[in-house]
Amino acid sequence: MNGLVATWLLTLRALRESVRQPANEAANAFIPLFFYVVTVGAVGSVAREAFGVADYKGFQLPVAVLQGAAGVASGAGLALTLDIQSGYFEKLALTSTPRLAIVLGRMLADAVKAVILGAGIVVLAVLYGSGFATGAAGVVVLLGATFGFALAYSGIGVAIALRTGSPQAAQAGFIIFFPLLFLAPTFAPVEVFAPWLEAVARVNPVTYILVGMRTLVTEGWDAAALARGGIAVLAVGAVTLTLTLLALRSRVRQ
Amino acid sequence: MLAIETTGLTKHFGPDIRAVDGIDLRVEEGEIFGFLGQNGSGKTTTVRMLTTLLRPTAGTARVAGVDVLANPGEVRRRVGVALQEVGLDELQTGRELLTLQGRLFGLAPREAKERAARLLEVVTLTEAADRPIRGYSGGMKRRLDLACALVHGPRVVFLDEPTTGLDPITREAVWQYVRELNREQGVTFFLTTQYLEEADRLADTVAIMDRGRVVAEGSPAALKAAIGSDVVTLAFAGEGEAARAAAALERFEGVQRVVRAEAEVAVYLPNGATAVAAIVRLLDDAGAPAESLMLKHPTLDDVFLRATGHHLEEGAPAAAAAPGRGGSR
Repeated sequence: MNGLVATWLLTLRALRESVRQPANEAANAFIPLFFYVVTVGAVGSVAREAFGVADYKGFQLPVAVLQGAAGVASGAGLALTLDIQSGYFEKLALTSTPRLAIVLGRMLADAVKAVILGAGIVVLAVLYGSGFATGAAGVVVLLGATFGFALAYSGIGVAIALRTGSPQAAQAGFIIFFPLLFLAPTFAPVEVFAPWLEAVARVNPVTYILVGMRTLVTEGWDAAALARGGIAVLAVGAVTLTLTLLALRSRVRQ
Repeated sequence: MLAIETTGLTKHFGPDIRAVDGIDLRVEEGEIFGFLGQNGSGKTTTVRMLTTLLRPTAGTARVAGVDVLANPGEVRRRVGVALQEVGLDELQTGRELLTLQGRLFGLAPREAKERAARLLEVVTLTEAADRPIRGYSGGMKRRLDLACALVHGPRVVFLDEPTTGLDPITREAVWQYVRELNREQGVTFFLTTQYLEEADRLADTVAIMDRGRVVAEGSPAALKAAIGSDVVTLAFAGEGEAARAAAALERFEGVQRVVRAEAEVAVYLPNGATAVAAIVRLLDDAGAPAESLMLKHPTLDDVFLRATGHHLEEGAPAAAAAPGRGGSR
């Protein structure tokens, strides 16, 4: 079986699953939108005076997109544990399809869902009053980055799922994101951070992904920021994909 | 040509657990091979090695002419597998699941759809085909799982306890379908089971697995004939009486073998009918009177008992279990 076709078929299957469980996706959409509105409401009016951010709605937009992507992408691990527990993972592993396609199908489906959710968040944020400095082309780039981030991030939950087979452990993958998100310039630019927090933020890959996306919204095309963001996505992806491959190898070669 | 061939196939889990301990199997193409054993005897571990889900610790195995270690992907392409636990994605419909399974085995979209439709008909699920699987009964899920194993037209099919949990009618339907596929298309079946009747009625060859080893192998008829005698099964009040009776019966003239399992004793001897009265007297004299006695032709349960020293279903009294398995007189 051609690995690409198999991956595509399994991506479609995972997407079909999501359509049949709309409540899960509604929760994934609600949380980032809620935080977006609340944060903008709480900080937006003082952002200019406090740390020189004029468009705080735009400043927060990539945070909501990343938060949504992380929420969606944590679903791949959980869904995979359910496949493992139901025995369906073994049924798929007994086909002649490359086994990597089984996990990639899941991860790609989450990345696609993250893009759809990200597009929705962008539309709602613009309707709410956010600007978007780079226009439609910038939206496409932002959604591309969202796709890459979700794909890379889903690898954490998938690797945990393959290693443990435990839904609880796989869900814990989402917890990893929260410290990383709050150790980045989420609410304010890194320049106003305390020195220790600034030092941490500067080695946090989420900082570069977030800043790269943010320039698209609030500033305009910034090749250097985009390159740093892209490298950060690739670095996270390289780590999580390696972990996924090792975990897959360990699960199927007992 | 051999459909399955293993040499010294072994699987250890850690240093202490020898789940499969060097088994040699030869399954001819077009054969229905019954693999009989208790839970934990190593049947499922064997199936998992032969279907590439587990790596053997030692030994070799070829399935459908392909080495399972050297080319596991090709083995998977050539075999169908229905594992003991029904593994289905309950959010899909039966038709979607079967079609996807066919596609993942490399069938073209149209062919996968046609195969799915035909198999749904065969396993009588056409009516439920477009409903989510989560609404299916246990029997429907088992039938769908069986269809999944067959969707790509494999030449060798592994069925790990395929009728466990099925009602008698569905079980009979599964047996019928296995027979048809075997007879009409020459599909080889490797069937693990705990049901003696299933092995007896379906299998051309039966291997009995006990504690990771194959302890007897042959056609059901040959295995029963190998006992070469009638079987007198005696039940006693306790294990002490059974032990005394077994010791006394060892010395009884013409006895070929005595096997004790807890409070039961099975005596293998020719012309059992003429010996029954003398056996009863002997036991009375030995102070170990039997509570019940049954004389019958050998069954696979007797073969199993003789090969392993215990019944297939541990704790099931032979006297109570035997009548349903035929041959009492």
